[in-house]
Amino acid sequence: MRRVRGRALRAAGVGLLVLLGGAAAQAQRYEVEIQKEVFQRIPLAVAGFAPLPDTNPGADLATVVRSVLAADLDFTGLIEVIDPTFLPVDIRQLKPGDQAGVLPTLALFKVQGLLVGSLERRGTELALEGHVYDVERGTAIVARRYLGDATTAVRQIAHRLADEIVFRYTGERGVAQTRIAYVGARNGARELYVMDYDGHNPVLLTGNRSINLSPRWSPDGRLLAYTSYRDGNPDLFVLNYQTGGRTKLSALPGLNISPAWSPDGEWVALSLSKDGGTNIHLMRKDGSGLRALTTGSGISVSPTFSPNGRQVAFTSDRGGSPQIYAIDLEGTNLRRLTFQGDYNSSPRWSPRGDKIAFVSNLSGRFQITLMNPDGSEVQTLTSEGRNEDPAWSRDGRHLAFSSTRTGRREIFVMRADGSAPRQLTRTGDNFAPDWSP
Amino acid sequence: MRTQHAGRYGILVAVLALAVGLLVSACATSPEVGQAQPSGVGATAPGTPPPGAVREAPAAPPRVAEEPVRQPGGVREQPVTPGAPPPAGAPLEDVYFDFDKTILRDDAKASLNRNVAWLKSNAGAKITMEGHADERGTNEYNLALGDRRAKAVQEYLVAAGIKADRVRTISYGEERPFVLGHDDSAWRWNRRGHFVIQK
Repeated sequence: MRRVRGRALRAAGVGLLVLLGGAAAQAQRYEVEIQKEVFQRIPLAVAGFAPLPDTNPGADLATVVRSVLAADLDFTGLIEVIDPTFLPVDIRQLKPGDQAGVLPTLALFKVQGLLVGSLERRGTELALEGHVYDVERGTAIVARRYLGDATTAVRQIAHRLADEIVFRYTGERGVAQTRIAYVGARNGARELYVMDYDGHNPVLLTGNRSINLSPRWSPDGRLLAYTSYRDGNPDLFVLNYQTGGRTKLSALPGLNISPAWSPDGEWVALSLSKDGGTNIHLMRKDGSGLRALTTGSGISVSPTFSPNGRQVAFTSDRGGSPQIYAIDLEGTNLRRLTFQGDYNSSPRWSPRGDKIAFVSNLSGRFQITLMNPDGSEVQTLTSEGRNEDPAWSRDGRHLAFSSTRTGRREIFVMRADGSAPRQLTRTGDNFAPDWSP
Repeated sequence: MRTQHAGRYGILVAVLALAVGLLVSACATSPEVGQAQPSGVGATAPGTPPPGAVREAPAAPPRVAEEPVRQPGGVREQPVTPGAPPPAGAPLEDVYFDFDKTILRDDAKASLNRNVAWLKSNAGAKITMEGHADERGTNEYNLALGDRRAKAVQEYLVAAGIKADRVRTISYGEERPFVLGHDDSAWRWNRRGHFVIQK
């Protein structure tokens, strides 16, 4: 896709030259092509960063920072990152302040923004200065400097600038600084890990060589609820992500599984099998106030709150096969949402409230699927391999999920329309991603 | 035959996994284990740096606390002859289920009847009934499925005269497969009720 765009731009460059020579018709045709392609995305040229003077070969921070920035911006699906080599002007090492000369040319190519940055080493820290110019007006939209440790925070600095740029263009918080918690199967154990949203910096959170499952971030991103067998029973724990402290929230006989945080962070919905059947219960985050939301001898698991906190969708086999249901928080208005196929599970309500993502078994293959909260407009997003565990990004624009499409089970992300899938893990059996707020 | 190859391949995978598992668990630290790194990013400053710009406190890294080492989650390896049930952990026979089902098949009831006889002649023995599922379907649903399978076996034993307090149940869902593999030669053995005699 990018290739094609690059060719289109180059061709447009040729076209413009021809236009200057008088062949207006041909140039117009190329211009129409460009406008069609960039219709929805904001074309932003990212200039190259000058390497630091003391850079060792192979450790070029300028290249790292620029590529992280470009990847972050491109990932949004809202910004089209224009590669400098596709342009007829040289912006490979443009410095802040030197942009005035190139803006008119960029304007001719319908580029809307130009990101110019520079790096500076300050002791053990790295300073990233980033400027985004509105190509048409020549004004600076973003002018920021971020500082962080030159060995451990390089990618974080770039993520932060990327989020700032996304905010200035869209008014929404970007997701470049978010993290993804997940389960990694290692030697028969299942451990919890957390990584940056782009798959970098994986860190082990548990280390008990037991079975740890279903990590779920609290809405403020400080706590992770999860199930662990470390004491011999599937109990529900809460990990304080900042202090590393752990508390056991629920250790009733049988299952204490599939946690979900209410949007206000005060309640946890979970599934308990203490009474025979497996049913959804609610408890306060300190473990008090336990009450059942569903009853019966069947299975009800994987609750997910609507963004307004008034409804819970979940998986239940009460109709004979696993299907998705919703119920009001008062325990009333129970309704079935899925009717296609004999296996629909793992619902996740989008943060915008307009969709529910879930797993659907389509002719033997489990696929990530979307529907409206009333069950209408069912739309399958994946096709290759077995795909499970959908989890929304906080802006509702992306989904993380697990897939066996490359052989082993790995964590992927994609846009909420199923496009632009990207593989994040490559170490083998990884699943159950949950995206931090 | 294709299924035989698949079965043998499954055995090979299981043996290799076990070998690798032993090797890796012998090492003190898994190579996967990343160190939590402080990644504080300084505060924003306008284009020109004001002297003494305020920095945000670096985000505290998650402390990775080591928990006591227990090993309930190891993948066990058992040689499997395709077409024949894995040798049961004698003297009690495991039982097997159909996909997404928790009802006891006739072959399962036959096994349970023999187990009941053993339990009656070993009145002091207590057992843990593990419910398992194959890898298909979602993990959380499979935990509940395994729970119900274990309880179905427990109810059958109790109905046959075994005291309920001699049978503890636990579900492992799809998290502790008996046979590694991604087709029915593995799945059929992984949808099981597994008997463990409590020590």
